[in-house]
Amino acid sequence: MSDRKLPRLLQAPAVILLLIWMLVPLSMTLYFSFIRYVLNNLRRPEWTKPLPSNWRGFGNYEFVWNNKDFWLAIQNSLLIVGSIIILTVTLGILIAVLINRAFPGRGIVRVLLISPFFVMPAVNAVLWINMILDPVLGLQGLAVDGINQLIVSLQTAPGVGWFFSLWPQLEPISFRATQTSAYAVIIMVTWQWTPFAVLIFMTSLQSEDQQQKEAAILDGAGAWSQFRFLTLPHLGRPIAIVVMIQAIFHLSLYAEIEIVSRGNGNKNLPYLIGEFANNNIGAASATGIFAVILANIVAIFLLRMIGKTLME
Amino acid sequence: MGRIVLDKVSKSFGETEVIPPLDLTIEDGEFAVFVGPSGCGKSTLLRLIAGLEDATSGKVIIDDEDVTQVSPSKRGLAMVFQSYALYPHMTVRKNIAFPLRMAKMSQSEMNQRVEQAAGILNLADYLDKKPGQLSGGQRQRVAIGRAIVREPSAFLFDEPLSNLDAALRVGMRLEIGELHQRLKTTMIYVTHDQVEAMTMADKIVVLQAGVIEQVGSPLELYRTPRNRFVAGFIGSPKMNFIGGDEAAKHGAHEIGIRPEHIAVANGSGAWSGVVGVSEHLGSDTFFHVHDTGLAETITVRADGEVSLNAGDRIDLAPREDVIHKFDAQGMRIA
Repeated sequence: MSDRKLPRLLQAPAVILLLIWMLVPLSMTLYFSFIRYVLNNLRRPEWTKPLPSNWRGFGNYEFVWNNKDFWLAIQNSLLIVGSIIILTVTLGILIAVLINRAFPGRGIVRVLLISPFFVMPAVNAVLWINMILDPVLGLQGLAVDGINQLIVSLQTAPGVGWFFSLWPQLEPISFRATQTSAYAVIIMVTWQWTPFAVLIFMTSLQSEDQQQKEAAILDGAGAWSQFRFLTLPHLGRPIAIVVMIQAIFHLSLYAEIEIVSRGNGNKNLPYLIGEFANNNIGAASATGIFAVILANIVAIFLLRMIGKTLME
Repeated sequence: MGRIVLDKVSKSFGETEVIPPLDLTIEDGEFAVFVGPSGCGKSTLLRLIAGLEDATSGKVIIDDEDVTQVSPSKRGLAMVFQSYALYPHMTVRKNIAFPLRMAKMSQSEMNQRVEQAAGILNLADYLDKKPGQLSGGQRQRVAIGRAIVREPSAFLFDEPLSNLDAALRVGMRLEIGELHQRLKTTMIYVTHDQVEAMTMADKIVVLQAGVIEQVGSPLELYRTPRNRFVAGFIGSPKMNFIGGDEAAKHGAHEIGIRPEHIAVANGSGAWSGVVGVSEHLGSDTFFHVHDTGLAETITVRADGEVSLNAGDRIDLAPREDVIHKFDAQGMRIA
């Protein structure tokens, strides 16, 4: 087997580098998660050093598990990732199919559609929460106010006034409060990432075989059947790619949550890790290990679901 | 039934007229072949009949019914595409059943029809495979199967064999011919290969630049080509065309003679020249003869046993009774 030696030797640097790259942070996290390690404690200064003598066993895990925010964070992580994926894939397919036909100004429309993807996440969050979703000054506040005024003016109108006086006053939604801030995050990230889905689906639609479509037309397939039996299966692989990439990216959302509510009522796992890491490195590391486990569970589910389409 | 009539049908893409108004009738049960060089509009004509292109003017009539404005799926035609156009993510069974499924046919009848088509086309063993796992010839059969199950009034084939290798092409050619004899359904077949046209057709339609040059049975076209284009297009190797004095001797602007109608004579031929390249097919040998003073090369078909080397002088004896004469416009002189 000496003929295998040289290739292995040549591969070694890359493999070793990759191992160090992965293993060092992971084992440090693992180690920190089993010791008491805080950045600042006046009464117990020995805890500020990462020494094996501070061994705590599964104490950090127990502490995190029983933390009131932990389950909220896991729930929120899944809610946010799941909702964004469903919304971006649905919207992405609809828009991609819509702009896949020739119409005047198609080039400009495409560029405009892609542009949200170039906005920085933090800027995206600031824009949305202040200018659009704000209940008083944002577009939402103005729109709700406008509709309310319109209803009030219609209530005095002859003939139909009685009908509009049955209508309630609309209340603007505060997206900074508790759970609604998760919806704000979902909305703004969906806006930002739909172009990504559109871009990938659009390129895939352009490679769709036109003769297949013509054959389907002759076989009596209508527009819906063509979409259902030809276009959707054709998009199977790109959908899988979009779902995988977005799952990886959105499990680690941070900036949007920080800007929308500072974690007030809406935390995901990365945000919780950030909060712990202000002082309690041990607990933060334990949460990090939980996050790794969650990511793996999600990955296994995704691979099961999507792997099939990829393997075909 | 499947009588297809084109009544002054024309097609333009923007300003360019691809097919000037033309009339054509294809009788029920006929095997018609549209043949012509690439870009002659034969595929466009087929797509007009199928309804995949709208006619700019004129009428498409199927079984005495004007279908010009009828959608493709309602015309009762089935088409086999050059790229097969199979649905890649469906099994062979689902591919063949797709038109039936679209017609909302019951599952049991669907199965029965698919099995029947698979039987005819020897596809029974492949029904649960995907198109990607099949060879070119098998894919072609699946595409034909998908057309058969609909029991259409006519089949349209758009260069169905051009993606196959030579040996397979000959086999599939035979199979399509047998299928036609078995089903007795009208078939329209588009090809650029005159051999396919000659071997399969009841009626050949020769097209050039969207214009029908001649319609007729294979032998009619071979024996009495209406003009110089048809004469040159039908027959392999190509007809020899000779102008100048030799043509004038026959009272024509140009004369044509097929390679198989020139005999190799020993010292007594009307023409003579020097052998260039010779192609040995075993059964026949084709000599390309130069320096005849008639045309740049004269192709001669001789028996496979005749052996001559490059540079040998050769005497040629044309058969006077099968010389085709053409006038200055390239039309046949009777």
